[in-house]
Amino acid sequence: MKIPDRFRGPALFLIMAILAILAGVIGYRLTGPMGIEERYASAVGLFSPESGGSSGFSLEGNLFLYLIILAVLFGICYYAYRQMDKKKN
Amino acid sequence: MAHIHLQDGSFTLFWVFVWWALCLALIGVALILVRRKKPDPNKIAVAAFVTAAAFAVFQVQIPIAGGIHLNLTPLIGILAGPVLAPLVAFIINILSAAIGHGGWSLIGANAVVNISEVLVGYYTFSALKKIIKTPFYCAGIATFSGLFVGNVVMIAIILISGIQGVNQPQAQVLAGLSLVAAVNMGVAVIEAFVTGFIVSSITRIRPDLLNGSQP
Repeated sequence: MKIPDRFRGPALFLIMAILAILAGVIGYRLTGPMGIEERYASAVGLFSPESGGSSGFSLEGNLFLYLIILAVLFGICYYAYRQMDKKKN
Repeated sequence: MAHIHLQDGSFTLFWVFVWWALCLALIGVALILVRRKKPDPNKIAVAAFVTAAAFAVFQVQIPIAGGIHLNLTPLIGILAGPVLAPLVAFIINILSAAIGHGGWSLIGANAVVNISEVLVGYYTFSALKKIIKTPFYCAGIATFSGLFVGNVVMIAIILISGIQGVNQPQAQVLAGLSLVAAVNMGVAVIEAFVTGFIVSSITRIRPDLLNGSQP
């Protein structure tokens, strides 16, 4: 059976999404709710205090440094955008 | 999503040097290509945008499956292209370590994982563009492929290096890491949709920015 051209993309995407969801559900059911670090530590056999995972959005690392670096990156983006605009005009 | 979330001291010094050397070799090749090809300001601006966006997203832990974070590495590959994207991935890893997300000694290994994701994401997207007309599906499939390969590379790096202070047999570590990779692939679905929507929006609004996906 030949799949029509316009269905190739959606079909492949759907198959990959279903496989990925299945893998994710199985992995989650076997490991339980854990934070990222805890999941890695448990996977390789390192001791880590049980956290039960995070219940809300949180930031990894230092918030102050995160904001400083983000501000610098935004500055660089603005400069790069101006250069791009200058070249276009 | 494949980022080795282990602390400094997990790998022996020998393996820290090996992964750093491999990472620097890849970055060296990328820099030589940048000097030879002289990318235009458009591409450099796009690389700056994706660096800022990916850095911002990378640090935010989302409360799904106990806590996950997105990488956007395949998106970096698609938008910045195969020459600039490895540099972007390397910079994001350094900045992440600078704020305490990931160990300094693991930057080499993590950059190798992320570089594999950006390259597979880029080349899959480029190949699919010729046979699938909808950018959303091309980007989504490229994301799944990139993140799958990234997870395989991540597992390989940990198995090859071994973890200091761990006496578990390799098979048990492999089983544990396979479950981590399985959860990561579940999260890849979110990343595939995000990447798909961003790429299809850019195709509609600013198709010239996708010129970055040309080598």
